[in-house]
Order: sequence, then C-alpha cells, then structure tokens
Amino acid sequence: MNPGLKLLLVMAIALEISFTQSLIVNVILIIASFGYILIHRISFKALLGLILWPFFPALGLFVSQWLYGTAGIHFAWILFTRIYAYVFLGATFTLTSSITDLALTLEQDFRLPSKFAYGVLAAFNLMPKINEEVKIIKTSALMRGEALHFWSPKLYFKAILSSIQWSQNLAEAMTSHGFVEDQKRTHYRVIRITGLDWSWFIGLFAIVQGLLFFIRY
Amino acid sequence: MTDVSINHFTYEYPKSEVKVLNDVTITFKHNHFSLLTGPSGSGKSTLLYFIAGLYPHFIGNDALGSIKFGEVDVKQIPRNQISHSVAMMFQNPNQQFAMDTVIHELTFVLENMLVDPSKMDEIINHALAFCGIEKLRSRVINTLSGGEKQRVALACIVAMDPPVIVLDEPFASIDPDSRLDLIKKLKLLQQEHGKTIILADHDLNDYQGVIDEFYYLDPDSHQINLLAAPAAQHFFDQFKTTQTINKQVEIPAKGTPSVIDINDFKLQPHHSLLLALGKFKFYQGKTTLITGANGIGKSTLFNALTKLLPYEGTIEYSGKNIQKIRPLSYAKNVTLLFQDAENQFLNITVKEELDLSLKNRTNQAYTNDDVASMLKQLNIEGREDQVVYSLSEGQKKKLQIIEMLIMNPPVLLLDEPFKGLDYHSLEVVVGFLNRAKSQFHQTQIIISHQLSGLDPLIDYHAHFADQNLTYQEVIK
Repeated sequence: MNPGLKLLLVMAIALEISFTQSLIVNVILIIASFGYILIHRISFKALLGLILWPFFPALGLFVSQWLYGTAGIHFAWILFTRIYAYVFLGATFTLTSSITDLALTLEQDFRLPSKFAYGVLAAFNLMPKINEEVKIIKTSALMRGEALHFWSPKLYFKAILSSIQWSQNLAEAMTSHGFVEDQKRTHYRVIRITGLDWSWFIGLFAIVQGLLFFIRY
Repeated sequence: MTDVSINHFTYEYPKSEVKVLNDVTITFKHNHFSLLTGPSGSGKSTLLYFIAGLYPHFIGNDALGSIKFGEVDVKQIPRNQISHSVAMMFQNPNQQFAMDTVIHELTFVLENMLVDPSKMDEIINHALAFCGIEKLRSRVINTLSGGEKQRVALACIVAMDPPVIVLDEPFASIDPDSRLDLIKKLKLLQQEHGKTIILADHDLNDYQGVIDEFYYLDPDSHQINLLAAPAAQHFFDQFKTTQTINKQVEIPAKGTPSVIDINDFKLQPHHSLLLALGKFKFYQGKTTLITGANGIGKSTLFNALTKLLPYEGTIEYSGKNIQKIRPLSYAKNVTLLFQDAENQFLNITVKEELDLSLKNRTNQAYTNDDVASMLKQLNIEGREDQVVYSLSEGQKKKLQIIEMLIMNPPVLLLDEPFKGLDYHSLEVVVGFLNRAKSQFHQTQIIISHQLSGLDPLIDYHAHFADQNLTYQEVIK
C-alpha cells in the first residue's frame, strides 16, 4: 500500500479508537495488525520489543482504572488494549514502510513542498550521527568533570549548536547537489496512488467503521 | 572556455573589520588543475564557497568585486542553473548527502538537474564505474568509510558533469590510498574530460607533478598569488621540512613502567580493520608521538582509548580494565584534547570556561597566577567576557589547551593540538607541556602532523602503518 495513504489510515483509525469504547474492536485491530506485521517478516527482537515495551504503561493504566476508576473493569480492559492497538497500528507503518518512499509520495502525490520532504529525509538520515554526537558531548563533559544527564540543559545547548551547524552544512550540500527550493524536479521513481491503494484505504476504513458501529462491547 | 576569473574580490565577515580576502584578482585557467594553498583558516574555503555560488546565499553578507565563469558573472546565473556550471566537494564527508543510499543520492542529484529519468541509469553507471565504486551502489551511506564517502561525492560530481569543479580540503580525513586515487581521478577529469579543477588544501603531499598551477593565499596580506615553479618548489620543500624533525629517540627499554596496556586489540569500525595489536604499552610520565598518514586510524585509536568507540580486546589503565572504571573517574584520568576545540567547550564565555576547569580540576597544581601567565604568554588575556564561539580558530585552540592543562589529568591525549597555531605559540605550548610532564608527571600521547618544533618534548615515537603501531627510533 502507498506509504502516505497507509500513514493516513493508521492515524485516522488511531484517532477514532481514542473516542470510541469497544474492547472487541481493539482486539481485532491488534490481531489484524499483528498478522500484517508477521506477513512482512520483521525481526523477532523488534516483535518482542513491541510486546514488552508498552506492557508497563498499559498495565499501569489498567490497574489504576480497575482499582481507582469509576467505570469498572471493562473500561480498564479497553484502556489496556487501546495502548496495544496504538502500538501495533503504528508498527504496521514504521516497521514495513520506508521513510524514503514516504518522502517520495509526500512530494509527488500529496504535493508537499520538496524542501520539506527532503529536509525531513535528510534529518532522518542524520539520526545515527546525532547519537554519536551526544556521546561525544557527554564524554567531553566528563573530561571536564561534569556529568551531563538527559535532563541537563548544557547537553541540549551543545546538541542544538551542533544541529544548527549540521543543518547549515546539509543545506549547502543539497544546494551544491543541484537542489533548489520550489523548483521543478524530474522523478526517477514515480510513486502513484493507484486505484488498488484507494480501494484498500476506503475498504479498510469502511470495515473499521462497520465494526465500531455494530460491536459496542 | 570557462576561465574562472576573480576580480578585485574583497570579503570580510559580518561585524568584523578584518578582511579575509583583500582585493584578490586572479584567474583560474580553463582546463587546468589549480591548487590553492595557505594556512588553515586563511580564507581558502570562503573563496571556494563564493565560486560555487553557495555564498553569499548561505552567509548573509556579500563581497565586493566579482567572480566570472568565462564572460558570465556567477550572480547572473539563476540558482537552478548554477549546478550546471560548478559543483563542489566538501571537507566533511559526513555532511554532504541528503539521502540514505548511494543510488538514492545519485538519483536525487540527477532529478534536481532535471535529467530525463530514462537516461539516469546510464549516467549513474558511468559515474560509479569512473570512481570505481560499482560495489557501493546500494550501500547505506552512513556505513561507508570516509574515503568511500568522498568517492561517492566525486561520483555525484561526475554525474552532474559541470565544467568547473571546486574542492575544499576534500582529503582532510581520508586514508592515503583514497587520497592518491582521488587525485588521479581528478587529473583524469581534467585531462580527458576538459574540467577546470580548483582545489584547496594545506597538506601538499601527492600534488607535485599533478597540478598545473600553484596559488598561495598569504595570511598577512590576504591576497592570492600565482607562484612560478621555483617558488612553488620552495613551498613543497618547506612542507616536507615541517613534517620532519631530526631527532633520534629511544625505543622504550624493557621494564619501563607503563600506564596504558593494550592487549589482543582489534579496531574495526565500518567493518574494515584499522588496527590490530597483540601487545602495546604507553609509558608513564613520557610523551609519545604517534605519526602516520591521514585517515589511517590515529584519531579512531584515541576514540577507543576514551571509550567513545567499541573495540575488541582489552585496554588497561594502571592495571585495571578501563571498561570497569567508572566513566567520570576514567574521563578525569585519561582525558582527550579534542581535535576540534569547540567539542571541549561547555560554557559561553572565556571566564566561565576557565572557572569550570578551576572548579573541577583533579588537583591544585596550577595557581591563579599560573593561569594568568599562560593566558598572557599565548596572547589571549583580557578576553574574559568574550563568547568562546566567537574566538578565532587559533584562539579557541589556545584556550582549549590552557583549560585542559588546568584539569591536569594524569594522562592527556592530544589530537593535532598544534593545528592552526603559529610557530611561536607552538613553542610556548611545548613549554607548557614540558612543565606538566616534569613537574606534574603527566603522561602525554600526541597525534601531530606538525613535527618541527616538537624536538624538546618527544620521548618516544610510535608509527602507525599497515594496521600496526610500532615504536621507532627515527621520526620522519
């Protein structure tokens, strides 16, 4: 499915289940997303992470609603499954779509300014460097006798300083690679939203509406 | 014909009286390989950025005078056409790509140039083949080594196919084989494809016999001169002498007490082996100089010693595995003077920086008078309230050295500490380091390309070559 449409669908469904209260639909969404992820053969480690990481926040919500809330255990289960529904819905996008494809479709089909699409992409590709930089900043601070933690303003000050420098360098590099804001570009890989994409989008969205309408438990 | 002519070109940084380039008038000839040299920070990059059409757009204030390609003023070329005239290769291999993989970057470049998609495959294949990197086609750029990245950068330029190519110290952090290979490729682009090449570098290795013209940016007059063959020869010779000192040093004798012990050690970032050491020691209270070609892995070794990079094997400090020493305690014992001074700064003003070192230092070895005297000797006194980031590169380096001396760690690693310092300041710093060693028993490990002037300081010399580090008697 077109990554742009997929993102839209995932966000729309996530928004909807925030305002509806159906335990069964949540479970159906979790199972469907889980199946979709499995088909795409993601790594076991990533899968395990998906199940474990949200467990404590979900459990926390469940327990506090169950013990201290007024709406009862049914609502507690809704909250619990909602967290997992968010995570698995999100994962159907993040684990199976490429950020490059998303940028391409946002530029070509969603008419987003190319500056934005490629700027985000470039920043995304800088992520590993940012991690390295944070490590350097922390080590360098230790050498001056200061332990910087993730809440230390100095860490952010230095990181932002580096980011400004990098974004400047990156903008220069993109310009020297012929990129000019708001200018026409050709496309080696044309990404279209096909009739099939639309059918999936509308079909799946309609099914979720149907489920939410008929299954109120 | 695309002579690149610079006419009465004058530039000064915003809010600064100092001219970086002062009434420069020169012509980089069509289809020539021109080398522009001069000390670090003298303004070579600035001129190249203007030639590439990146400045004034990215800097804010314009220069006086003009730059022309043939008869056309750079400023007359529309922004979406400029990359058909000139392309640039940058110093930092890590910050010149927008996309994730090599092939995506190359298509990105061609899309920007409005190339017909049906022709792209052929152009890309040719560019990759020319640079000898067909194998890198689908690789993720972040996983490539510096040398590979610069080859990809050259492939992008080959794909763009502009008549003028400018390069800003493109080999500063890549290995010698890549450097030599890229210089040959550039020569080929000039001779067989009619390109005009303008390259700035302060490292003069490998250019003799390759370049057609030698330009020198004089840091005092801020002017650029085309040098005749004998004068250029003089620079080549002089460069060689800064890279040598006539000093015999001892090979460490058996039983000399060591402070850092490296065992069964392997360093392989990017999955290529940089260094393999069975057993290696750095010695207590001595100054060890590490030499070796650019990009061979010297700084990477420092990164392993400071736990910034993973490695195989063990490193021991005073007999204890460094992975078992608490981070803060280790960092205050084995401290790195970063190559880039800004990495060391945590505060805003000079005074705050110095105060931080005085507050957190490991011992009280340096008195306030010592500090004042060091500032005075390096000529950076009276700048207490200045923002450190607004200091010149040389001043930053001096401040960085002083604040790390105040910290007075038992082991100080110094990565190119003399870069950007004039000769007198270098001698002063060598004096400081000698004092730290003789009075405070500091162990120093230095990476430096600049060798002249270091004679009084060096005790041992370790040469880095062929994935190995060995102590040698001669420094060359």
